[in-house]
Amino acid sequence: MTANPIRVVIADDHPVVRVGLRNMLQVDPLIQVVGEARDGVEALEMCRALQPDILLLDLAMPNVAGMDALRELTGGGLSTRTIVLTGLIEKRQVLEALQLGARGVVLKDAVVEHLTACIRAVMQGQYWLDGHPVQNLVQVLRDLAAQTAPPPRKTFGLTARELEVVNLITEGCTNKDIAKTFGISEETVKRHLTNIFNKLGVGNRLELALFALNHNLMPENSSQ
Amino acid sequence: MCHEKERPGPESETHLRPAVFEQLRLAMNSDPSGFLELYRDYLAEAWLSVQALRVSIQQRDAEAVRAKAHYLKSSSMVLGAAHVAQEAAILEEAAAGGRFDEAAARLNQAVLRLKQVTARLVEELGREVDPAGITAA
Repeated sequence: MTANPIRVVIADDHPVVRVGLRNMLQVDPLIQVVGEARDGVEALEMCRALQPDILLLDLAMPNVAGMDALRELTGGGLSTRTIVLTGLIEKRQVLEALQLGARGVVLKDAVVEHLTACIRAVMQGQYWLDGHPVQNLVQVLRDLAAQTAPPPRKTFGLTARELEVVNLITEGCTNKDIAKTFGISEETVKRHLTNIFNKLGVGNRLELALFALNHNLMPENSSQ
Repeated sequence: MCHEKERPGPESETHLRPAVFEQLRLAMNSDPSGFLELYRDYLAEAWLSVQALRVSIQQRDAEAVRAKAHYLKSSSMVLGAAHVAQEAAILEEAAAGGRFDEAAARLNQAVLRLKQVTARLVEELGREVDPAGITAA
């Protein structure tokens, strides 16, 4: 009894890498390399034409880069499952690849140890990361998102209202404008400004505006 | 009775990872000249990358350095030249950060590692695998 082979397309711009991968995969009788693409455009064309089970995708390719190819593949309604091959596990990139529909990530220097196992796991509907099948993808995505989130914005002890005042100052508003915007008196605006100057160690509105721009000191929900 | 090859020590293992080399040799058992050609092509391109890297570092062309270092890293990883891959990875990072002095130093290290890989491959596959004649000197 012979099961249908798993049909694989390799997408990498380096011929030596493609030849190496193809030959390594050939050892497994259940895997058949049906195509080799030199860039993202070829990878997309081959996936549409050959409808492989698995696309092995290098992220750093010319023309259409791997991540863009992945985005197009996912949006294209193809059943091909993508495994990302990378030289460096960068968490932000892994998160993006998974969000775009990648099913696994394999380091290029772990190909011998993990690639065929990864292909089999992905064909069984699993995800693969860090050399293992993923048990709980949602948790992994949460963890990655937490690890790649930007550091909390420094507010230098300013209150939410003071941050809003700073925002209006950077837009060139006068005290009168600010008072009108918030429905408060100009005296209150002045008091806010005094507090802001003291907290930030600036002496005037221009210094404040420069400080705010340099330190990205805008309210969280500021719409630019 | 066949003679078993002496097992390489840990240091030389990382010059050329036996797991990778032997799996490829096994996979290409029916095509030994293709196997030789694969490693010959790798070395030829790696030495060309080294030359291109020297020029790009001198020209302080960060993008060119990064791209060439990435190429060297990628092919070295897949073919088991672990030390070359490590040096290329650091070189790639140095280029991305515009640290050209560090990149130049790393390139020298990569060259040393590449010589070691070349020598190891010559031991395994003969002088034909050495396109640049590095080991002839």
